[in-house]
Amino acid sequence: MVRSIVGLLLRAASTLLIVLVIAFFITRIAYRNPAAMLAPRNASQQAIDAIAHALRLNEPWYLQLWYYLYRGPDIQGAPMGLAHWPPGLGYSFRKQTAVTDLILSKVPVTLSLALGAVVIWMTLSIILGVVATRRQGSWIDSSISGVAYVSLSVPTFLSGILISYFLFFQLSNYGIFWFPSSGYVPLTENPLEWARHLALPWLTLALAEIGIFQRVVRASMLEVLGEDYIRTARAKGLPEWRIYYDHALKAALNPVITLGGLELAVIMGGAIVTETIFGLDGVGRLAINSALEGDFPVIIGTTIFAAACFVLCTFVIDIITRWRDPSSIS
Amino acid sequence: MAEVHALAGTEVFEGRRDVVRSYGSLVIGALLREKSFRAGVIIIAFVAVGAMLAPAVAWLLGHGPTEQFRDTALTEMGLPTGPTLEFPLGADGNGRDVLVRTLYGARVSLAIAIPATTLAMIIGTAIGLVSGFLGGRIDRIVSQGIDIALSFPFIVTALSLLTLNRGADGKVLVAPSLVVVLIITLFSWTYFARLTRGLVLVLRRSPLVEAAQTIGASKAHIILREILPNIAPVILVYWAVQLPTNIVAEATLSFLGVGVQAPEPSWGTMIAEAQRSSLYQVQPWFLLGPGIALFLTVAGFNTLSAGLRNVLDPRRHSG
Repeated sequence: MVRSIVGLLLRAASTLLIVLVIAFFITRIAYRNPAAMLAPRNASQQAIDAIAHALRLNEPWYLQLWYYLYRGPDIQGAPMGLAHWPPGLGYSFRKQTAVTDLILSKVPVTLSLALGAVVIWMTLSIILGVVATRRQGSWIDSSISGVAYVSLSVPTFLSGILISYFLFFQLSNYGIFWFPSSGYVPLTENPLEWARHLALPWLTLALAEIGIFQRVVRASMLEVLGEDYIRTARAKGLPEWRIYYDHALKAALNPVITLGGLELAVIMGGAIVTETIFGLDGVGRLAINSALEGDFPVIIGTTIFAAACFVLCTFVIDIITRWRDPSSIS
Repeated sequence: MAEVHALAGTEVFEGRRDVVRSYGSLVIGALLREKSFRAGVIIIAFVAVGAMLAPAVAWLLGHGPTEQFRDTALTEMGLPTGPTLEFPLGADGNGRDVLVRTLYGARVSLAIAIPATTLAMIIGTAIGLVSGFLGGRIDRIVSQGIDIALSFPFIVTALSLLTLNRGADGKVLVAPSLVVVLIITLFSWTYFARLTRGLVLVLRRSPLVEAAQTIGASKAHIILREILPNIAPVILVYWAVQLPTNIVAEATLSFLGVGVQAPEPSWGTMIAEAQRSSLYQVQPWFLLGPGIALFLTVAGFNTLSAGLRNVLDPRRHSG
């Protein structure tokens, strides 16, 4: 177990390192004359030269890469590279902030968005999935299937626009202001406002996922219900709800957890569409805005952040599946 | 004796051909009995006819997909008109015909998603076949490569790659839609590679491959002639599963202004224009035209692939 965890960690670290190097090359080649793009607007030529010097943009690429990885630019005598404590991902000259601080300041928004949405879609999908299995073949099952297919066929940007049109714009026409259409209030400040501001984005994200997850829960449940031990449980005379929720669901959740972790990772890496439509200042918006501005230290930083979320989630999924079923270790 | 053998041989081959033929008719029969497959085929046929008729409709109405009719399609206040005889789905904020643009949008959408999915299928299947069959170090390198590809965030990487497409003078090097095809391919080959690898790992220990190895067939022969024909139907089914995802991927990129560039009529761009200008609150079809078209296309392929999967994928019995 310990050996395989060390192996997983090593692999995760090498994946991240390779992602970083590739992201460095893509962005360094993509953005010509980066110093001018990185400088604040109306910066003097002198300032641009200083940025080019601070990032060693005039040196050969391997020195630039090494410098980026190891030391990073010195800001007021403090190096911003990865190999220091605290490790940094460089410095955004445009925003005059260290990239790590910039990303960390956006994480609460994205984390609230992602976790809330996960809770909503997992709960609803599991309930709808189990109900569909219990009433397999009935009109309840087929209407839930219909809803699931509709929900998985509507792209998030379309459902986001429709949700904000009906649940914000139309309701406010009638003087009902239940859900604000944009903005973010920290959880620590006011939990109720926090949930109110996130309700529509949660709904948008959850709606897209329910379609997929309800199908997965249903398929997985049907497979498990055919197993021998379920027949044994029935023969023992256990009540039907215990067979479904205690026995079958526990076993059927494995593919749901795996897929859920991957979707969570993608949303953590930047739910760009949802954040854009609902004006949430999260990691996704930071990423796309810096990509549009050519702020390449932030682009690399957010790419690494997304990759780290992905690696972390797959790692946790691995551990959870092993812990739930120790015999699956290969 | 030799004659008898030869005779038996041809009979076996004839018999095999019969088996293949009856397998084919069995599959088609099962597909036609599958409700979701029929529904999917009808929806997709509808979309395909719309895409094919786009130039005819444009000619009938006299409106090109990028032509602006600021005098006839906009009111005096500059707002787009709703559905009229001349503009069946109304106009957009620039006085362009929403119906004609929506129909052309189907062409743009399919012309990107189909090549991208096919390319991803070919690349992913080839990589999955090799890594699943050879195993060992090559397999480890491939799965690390898949991990790396999956770790990249889709939209930001797409944006960097599109920026990469600009030369020193700011002009694009190749057509942006070609870059979008490559980006979507880059992000979906992993799906086919994982699928193929899993299928190959099961087949590698089957009597089929063992028999081929015993008679001394080469690795290339086993991969291409024994394994590939056996897994090809399942891979084609998953082509149909991945296609709607890629249609949405293209629309999302275009929605964010990162994909197909205006004024080319992509559904994503059209929906973005409707949302940014809020004009859909005056002229709902500005949003509903491309929105419904996108939904129908994606839903059509989703139901079609669900039907295909029920019939052709032995691992799934429900869905």
